[in-house]
Amino acid sequence: MKLLIVDDSNIIRSKIARALGAYGLEVVGLAANGRDAVARAAVTRPDVITMDLTMPEMDGIQCIREIRKLRPKVQILVVSALADKATAIQALKEGAQGFLCKPFTEQELTDAIGELIEEAQNG
Amino acid sequence: MFGIDLGKYRTLVVSIFLFLLFDLGVLVLNFVISSEIAQDAEAVNLAGRQRMLSQRTAKAALQIEKQAGSETPDPRLPAELALAADTFERTLHAFRNGGETVSGGGKPILLARLDDAAAQDILTRTDAVWAPYRKAMQAALAPGAGAETVAAMVGRAEDTNLQLLGLMNELTTRMEAIAASKANNLRMVQVGGISLATINFVIILVHFIGHLRRADRELESARKQTDDILRTTQEGLFLLDPEYRIGTQHSRALAGMLGTGQPGGANLLDLLRPVVSQKTLDTAREYLDLLLKHEVKEKLVASLNPLDRVEINMSEAPGIASQRYLKFAFNRVKEGKRVTHLLVTANDITRRVQLEQDLKESEERSANQMSMLVELLRVDPAAMQEFLAGAGSALDGMNALLKDQTEGREAHGARINGIYRIAHRLKGDAAGLGLSSLAGNVHALETQLSELRERSDLMGEHFLPVTVRVKALFADLEAIQSVVTRVAAMRAAVVVDPPRPAADAQAQALQFVQRWRAYATQIAQRRQKCVELSYGGIDIATLDAAQRETIVGVVNQFIRNAIVHGIESPDERRVRGKPAAGQLSVYVMRNEEGGVDLSFRDDGQGISTERIRLAALKSGLLSPERAHTSTDRELIALIFAPGMSTQDHADTDAGRGAGLDAVKEMVVGQGGRIRIGTTRGEYCHFRVTLPAAAARPVQPASEEIKA
Repeated sequence: MKLLIVDDSNIIRSKIARALGAYGLEVVGLAANGRDAVARAAVTRPDVITMDLTMPEMDGIQCIREIRKLRPKVQILVVSALADKATAIQALKEGAQGFLCKPFTEQELTDAIGELIEEAQNG
Repeated sequence: MFGIDLGKYRTLVVSIFLFLLFDLGVLVLNFVISSEIAQDAEAVNLAGRQRMLSQRTAKAALQIEKQAGSETPDPRLPAELALAADTFERTLHAFRNGGETVSGGGKPILLARLDDAAAQDILTRTDAVWAPYRKAMQAALAPGAGAETVAAMVGRAEDTNLQLLGLMNELTTRMEAIAASKANNLRMVQVGGISLATINFVIILVHFIGHLRRADRELESARKQTDDILRTTQEGLFLLDPEYRIGTQHSRALAGMLGTGQPGGANLLDLLRPVVSQKTLDTAREYLDLLLKHEVKEKLVASLNPLDRVEINMSEAPGIASQRYLKFAFNRVKEGKRVTHLLVTANDITRRVQLEQDLKESEERSANQMSMLVELLRVDPAAMQEFLAGAGSALDGMNALLKDQTEGREAHGARINGIYRIAHRLKGDAAGLGLSSLAGNVHALETQLSELRERSDLMGEHFLPVTVRVKALFADLEAIQSVVTRVAAMRAAVVVDPPRPAADAQAQALQFVQRWRAYATQIAQRRQKCVELSYGGIDIATLDAAQRETIVGVVNQFIRNAIVHGIESPDERRVRGKPAAGQLSVYVMRNEEGGVDLSFRDDGQGISTERIRLAALKSGLLSPERAHTSTDRELIALIFAPGMSTQDHADTDAGRGAGLDAVKEMVVGQGGRIRIGTTRGEYCHFRVTLPAAAARPVQPASEEIKA
């Protein structure tokens, strides 16, 4: 399974990459803003994406919308702080499948991704 | 069966199949037997005709003989005889071996061989009689046959006529008997088939009525169990349809939770509308849509549920309001892959929320108490007793002001300023002793007062929270007092040596100076500044209580004022060629009149008259015209005005403009006076003179400030 990590924080990107790399996913790209994420999604054709919502250049919601057009079957996990539930819900309506609240533990992250991948393999 | 799992319908299908099978069997047998009966009727008919044909041959033979001598013989007679004989012969043959003959209408008809043994016997005997008769007829009908052949034929006819008639009669009777027996069979088959079908029907009836009653009983029991669950559960349990409507089957507890009589059929969001904010309501709708209409993982979006803690205020009776917390959890109900409903579980989590709040409060309280205890342990007991006495009278002073019921804007303003001054001094004293949690609580009181000051509709009742907070401060003081007493008892218990005499003037002096130093360092650290405090003069313990209290209070305010407004940052001081640490010099001496002189000097940036002018303009202390025309002296005198501060934001140390106002009140209250000397960029010097304890005339404050 190929994974694309989208987050403007270098620390979060490394944390996710380390945890999910060890979990067995192949990290095919890291993006720090929405525009970059769309480009990388087009090139690397990931199966799973972790998506931050507040980012420079293009925010997460628009990014999900664009990526969904390119890769209708990709599984997207929104990883964001729970400051505004309404924004997170909006992101899920745009086509993400799950939400993980920052800050998170490695266990929470792998559990959420496990849940998401099971969906992808069944459906 | 048929590769389909029929489940509970298996018996029904088998029964219906058998029913149809019986009906079909009866139908087929009916058809076969009735068509045989139809054939038999034909055969009986033909057997009857054989009787007639035997008589016709005899009659024709006699007529042929009779007209033998006639001159005009009837030419039809021989043909008629030949036809009758031929038809008899063919029919007889068809009966014996099966074959074709002609019907009454001359049409060919196919007969099956008669299987019946008795009938065959009759036919064999008929053949034996018929064969010689037939030969005689053929001889008589041959062309050129003589009269004797005719006579022989007639003779034969007379011999066999009755015999043939008898045999054919016998045959007809026998065949009628066979046909009757078949009709009897047919009736038997019909009766049997109908009986079987009826039995089958009865079995179906008995079986299914039993089955239905059993199913009804099970259904009834299931319904009762569901009812029991919904009636007994403490949770609010219901199904929510895609239009957010609550299902009619819901737990009884739900009505009580939502405070509505009939939640069934109502729109959940409409019920929540009066109790939650519009934003929460909008988010809730979006969240429900997410679960109902979008392919998300239920588990992975649960944390977004905006209804996981809903605060509900209900009035249980007029005037009695209760605040409760509800938690709604949503689970999808699916048919195949489609989400048809959400199963909603509502729980009253008021108790849990209250416990959480209580726990948090008690944690904060114990942390507060612990830090207070640690602070108390550091303070010198004598200084503490002195502080407690002063603080007690300060709170009494506040109470007295609060008890004054005079209404009106000015009275309220004066009350606020009065309490403010006392509070500010109390805060300074508490902070001076290092009692920062108490100082924090007094600071909160100040915040409250400045909020009141902003109000345009100020009324007596608005002071209620202030009264409450003052009461809390009394409680704080009591707590401190109790701890101090216990600590003293503990110290007395553990100290083996007798306490040192308190007459050591040097040590006493050092103690109050150390407190000032500690206070100065504390404020300087908060402001990233650096100060050194030097002291010269008498031991203030030798002063009378009122003078000592005033000196301590005033010096505390000066220290704070100097560090906040006067002393520059270490970097700035270096640039100006000053030592990095600001120098605070304090002197206390007795004067000739028996009074006390206090000198407080800092080597900071001095007083900026421009900043005072600006601040006085902003706070409305000076009109724009006065602001422009005021002299430096007049401006400097303004630093003692209530509400004057050059700092933009209030914090624990400064910004409310009450500090020097409080100094003025303390000094003037004792009949003393204050003088200020300052040079911009170099220093600021306060000189305070307190009169002897005996002579304390109260004089107008403004006269006593000399800049």
